[in-house]
Amino acid sequence: MLKTLVLLLLLLNIAITQSAEYKLHGVLDIRATSANTLDSYIDSGYGKFTSHDGNNISLAQAGIDFTVDWDTGISAHVVANGYSDENETIVGVTEAFLKYRSLPNSNGYRWQTKTGIFYPEISIENNAYGWASRNTLNSSAINTWIGEEIRVLGSELALTRLGKFNDNNFDLTFAVTGFINNDPAGSLLSWHGWNIGNRQTLWTESRAIPNLPARLPGYDLNAQAEKSDPFIELDDNWGFHLRGKIKFHRKGQIALGYYDNKATPYLVENGQYGWRTRFGHASFIWRFPNAFEFTAQYLTGDTLMQSPVKMDVVNNDYTSGYVALSKRINKHRVTLRLEEFSITDNDNTFGDNNNEYGKSATLNYTYRYSKPWLLSLEYNWINSVRAARMYINQPYNLVERQWQLAGRYFF
Amino acid sequence: MLFNFMDKKLLSSYLKIIIICCFSFSAIADKFSLSLFDADNRPMQDMVAYLEPIDDIKLEKVTKIIEVGQLGRAFTPYISVMQRGNSVDFRNRDDITHHIYSPVGENKFSFKIKAGQSQSKDDFEELGEVAMGCNIHDWMSGYLLVVDTPLFAKSDPLGQISLDVQQTGKYKLIIWHPQLDAENNRVSREISFPKDNKVTMTITNKILMISEQKNEEDFDFLSDY
Repeated sequence: MLKTLVLLLLLLNIAITQSAEYKLHGVLDIRATSANTLDSYIDSGYGKFTSHDGNNISLAQAGIDFTVDWDTGISAHVVANGYSDENETIVGVTEAFLKYRSLPNSNGYRWQTKTGIFYPEISIENNAYGWASRNTLNSSAINTWIGEEIRVLGSELALTRLGKFNDNNFDLTFAVTGFINNDPAGSLLSWHGWNIGNRQTLWTESRAIPNLPARLPGYDLNAQAEKSDPFIELDDNWGFHLRGKIKFHRKGQIALGYYDNKATPYLVENGQYGWRTRFGHASFIWRFPNAFEFTAQYLTGDTLMQSPVKMDVVNNDYTSGYVALSKRINKHRVTLRLEEFSITDNDNTFGDNNNEYGKSATLNYTYRYSKPWLLSLEYNWINSVRAARMYINQPYNLVERQWQLAGRYFF
Repeated sequence: MLFNFMDKKLLSSYLKIIIICCFSFSAIADKFSLSLFDADNRPMQDMVAYLEPIDDIKLEKVTKIIEVGQLGRAFTPYISVMQRGNSVDFRNRDDITHHIYSPVGENKFSFKIKAGQSQSKDDFEELGEVAMGCNIHDWMSGYLLVVDTPLFAKSDPLGQISLDVQQTGKYKLIIWHPQLDAENNRVSREISFPKDNKVTMTITNKILMISEQKNEEDFDFLSDY
């Protein structure tokens, strides 16, 4: 409380004494969808798309990105997102943080700190305003999961060495984040598997989980709440995220990172368990001449949730990766993304089989009608095997498809 | 003997000329022209050339306002040159804010310039190069050279430079480019003006890679500052 007060006073002092620049940016994304899928994972189903089965129109994203920039190098950022379809309308904050970027010193070293609620830098797709995906309407399985369960309340310290000060054609960045409030991360991935969508979990939101047999009275998951609340702290342990990036000027970049929420896996409070979730991630971007781009991401890790007597209830390994090719010809852009994903269930909990394996393909065509207006047509295809679908009499091996037509307005 | 052929008037004019010639740093306005070629005999553009007097020549200070613009998320021009004491007008011709800085030496500075606005600075006191960047757009890079002479210019696409030199005498001709592969990024030679009023120089030192001031992203709505 005292810390918050000091921080508020400090901010107030900065706001009064320094001239500031206010910026409001955002995105509006309206979509018509035709999908052949199950009930969406958003609504506690096993459908792998954010959208529902059949035809519908939705406000797929209304995002704003509000920034206050002071001359001192300090800036405040608030990102809010809203979604509206036939099942729900919801609005809330997804990120809120303070950032400080120093000037480079004479050797080209620059510090940057970020404190507050933010995404650990993992996704290379979601860098448009409001964490929107730039080249596709739906993020890859990796980044759909990041948007759903991975968010931190913490502080990142990053050191960048700018190559132009050292006659190098690359910049290097190393960053370390200490964080709290991401203890249940891993539960949604375990219980509904990998998905392809664009829905981010709001900071204060909790998300539905499938109605597994293990949640019935007398079974191991009966104490689990109706919904999972991914952004809470249960054990006061600090988690950490480390990342390194080499950025080749005008060519591309390679990034590596490691995330560990350090959650105590046998703690449960109000039906929310601690899930010890750890993963490594890697990404690659390479730009070829003539606006041709190759990107790839890979993520692999594990998650563990135990009973209060430290027996494994959910013990899963998970992996996903994709490669994407994107080519722009003037106002036209075509992107193809191919993915593979798996979850391996290592425990023997009855009524909670999390095994999964799947492949996915996404083909997107985007026409840039004007600078802010992008019109996109996207096709998503997922073929997955998931044992848990048999709990609701749905096929073990299933193909889901959808077409989406979207108008996206950025400002 | 000589005087026998001249009347007094003529003698007086000759004397004046002799006196003028003896007073070696007297004012005569003339062009100094320089042609710069590289080792492959191609003209060298955007090279800064300046003349520093070696003899005791007093050169007048010029009053100029140098514009260092930011346009298309790039320093425009990439290279600027000014006499110490001149004023520099940093003009943001883009529709976004820039955070212009130079991190080294006495000429260190940093300020933000909002879209369409400008900021003036007249205290560049240290001679030499001021390497500039933008802390928002890391690919931006520009140079300002502070010299102690009003005799400076940048070569045109044909590698040509022309300077109005007012006073005769010996000068050090210095050629500078931020990526010139030479000590202090300079090469120099001595010239005697007006004898050497047309100089052609072949610079065998290489120009090292100039990183292109261009955003690698072709999408304008990216959230990272």
